[in-house]
Amino acid sequence: MKNVLKKELLLALHPTAPLFLLLSAMLLIPNYPYYVVFFYNALAIFFTCLLGRENNDVFYSLTLPIPKRDIVKGRFAFVVLLQVAQLVIAVPFALLRQQMPLPGTQVGMDANIALFGLSLILMGLFNLVFFAIYYKDINKVGTAFAWGSAVVFVYICIAEAAAHVVPFFRDVLDTKDPQNLSAKLLVLAIGGLLYAAFTLLAYRRAVQTFEVQDL
Amino acid sequence: MSAEVLTVKNLCKIYPAFTLKNVSFSLEKGKITGFIGRNGAGKSTTLKALFHFLHPDSGEIRFFGDSITEHELAIKQRVGFVSGGIDYYTKKKIKTITAVTKAFYPAWDDAAYQKYLKLFALDENKTPSQLSAGMRVKYALALALSHNAELLILDEPTSGLDPISRDDLLDVLMALCDEGKTILFSTHITSDLDKCADQIIYIQNGEILANSSIQSFVQGYKTVTLAEKCPLEKEALLIGTKRSKNGYTALVKTENAAALGLPCTDADLESIMIHLEKEVAE
Repeated sequence: MKNVLKKELLLALHPTAPLFLLLSAMLLIPNYPYYVVFFYNALAIFFTCLLGRENNDVFYSLTLPIPKRDIVKGRFAFVVLLQVAQLVIAVPFALLRQQMPLPGTQVGMDANIALFGLSLILMGLFNLVFFAIYYKDINKVGTAFAWGSAVVFVYICIAEAAAHVVPFFRDVLDTKDPQNLSAKLLVLAIGGLLYAAFTLLAYRRAVQTFEVQDL
Repeated sequence: MSAEVLTVKNLCKIYPAFTLKNVSFSLEKGKITGFIGRNGAGKSTTLKALFHFLHPDSGEIRFFGDSITEHELAIKQRVGFVSGGIDYYTKKKIKTITAVTKAFYPAWDDAAYQKYLKLFALDENKTPSQLSAGMRVKYALALALSHNAELLILDEPTSGLDPISRDDLLDVLMALCDEGKTILFSTHITSDLDKCADQIIYIQNGEILANSSIQSFVQGYKTVTLAEKCPLEKEALLIGTKRSKNGYTALVKTENAAALGLPCTDADLESIMIHLEKEVAE
């Protein structure tokens, strides 16, 4: 597993992936749809899979003495690492944004604990849709990304609209921390659980479809 | 341990437009075996099936006596698969590709790797895209040899190489064979096999046509040159009659050469392949 992850980081990783992590700093923009910050890693995943296709990554991986499922496991480990890093790097910027002498973003959800929980769901949904298509045919990276980003776009629209029109979102979640801390922590926990469930489901389906594919 | 390094029995794979039919062959230790056939005959499909890149519908594949289905990982430690040179991560430095690759092989031998880098004059700071086609194959060989692969399977390693580079590569393969390595390489450049192969496996339309020593295969046929079309009663003995610069050429089985009663010359691998394919096309 360690070796496959090393392969992902040294060979497969697209150079923009670490740069996109720095875009967590966009939480400092006074008015911005903050969910978009957590969409950048989806772009990094897309670029990495695209780069892999152009560099015969799967052929190289198949010649290595590892089971086919480990190729998938390595990619998922890389993706989870990237997504968790995006969240962790975003934490200090969210804290800074909270300290700024300005009201929260007027676009939708503030940079607070609930945003992190809801963004975990966003990333889990992307994993579920993107990898279901990608591992059916690794040459159709574009199709996988188109569907994955379409679902994320709809999710962002709904989540941002909810911050204006759904009372629980507007009055309880879209507030400065530590107001309504227990509700926000609950959203964070649910987000974490759904992210884990969606990603695990995506991994299991990916292993099954990739295993039976003729390459 | 089995004396046969690789045994394939009744390998079948059905595609909508192509079928691999009961492919069976075996490789002897320490020999170079050429795997020939025209483009699309099933060479790459067979090689891919050996490594589980694709799933055969039926058949049995055994490396060193062990089934690939049950011992895939242990077998991959002992086998090197080289597909026409390095065509993956061609913009990454060789030293990075090596650093990643060697981690997967407990038997990796750094001293051997350094030896082959020097022998093949490979610069670790270059990327595969900066290497010539011949050097890319050599780098792929260096990787396989450094994890002590006993069997090297090469998919068209000489295509795209100039005659000097091809000859140079064949010298390397023969030297490796002398060290006890077993080599299977697919090619449609038959002159490469005339120079270095001990055995040949000939595949035609997904079926194995011959699996024998190159000498006995070549001795099985003679070439006939005709100024004009052969009389009808003798035409049945001819295989794959085709136009040539000064009339017609055809193959005849050596045992039928006397009955034909025409001057015959020894056939080479290329003329055998061309006439056999011509016969099938007709």
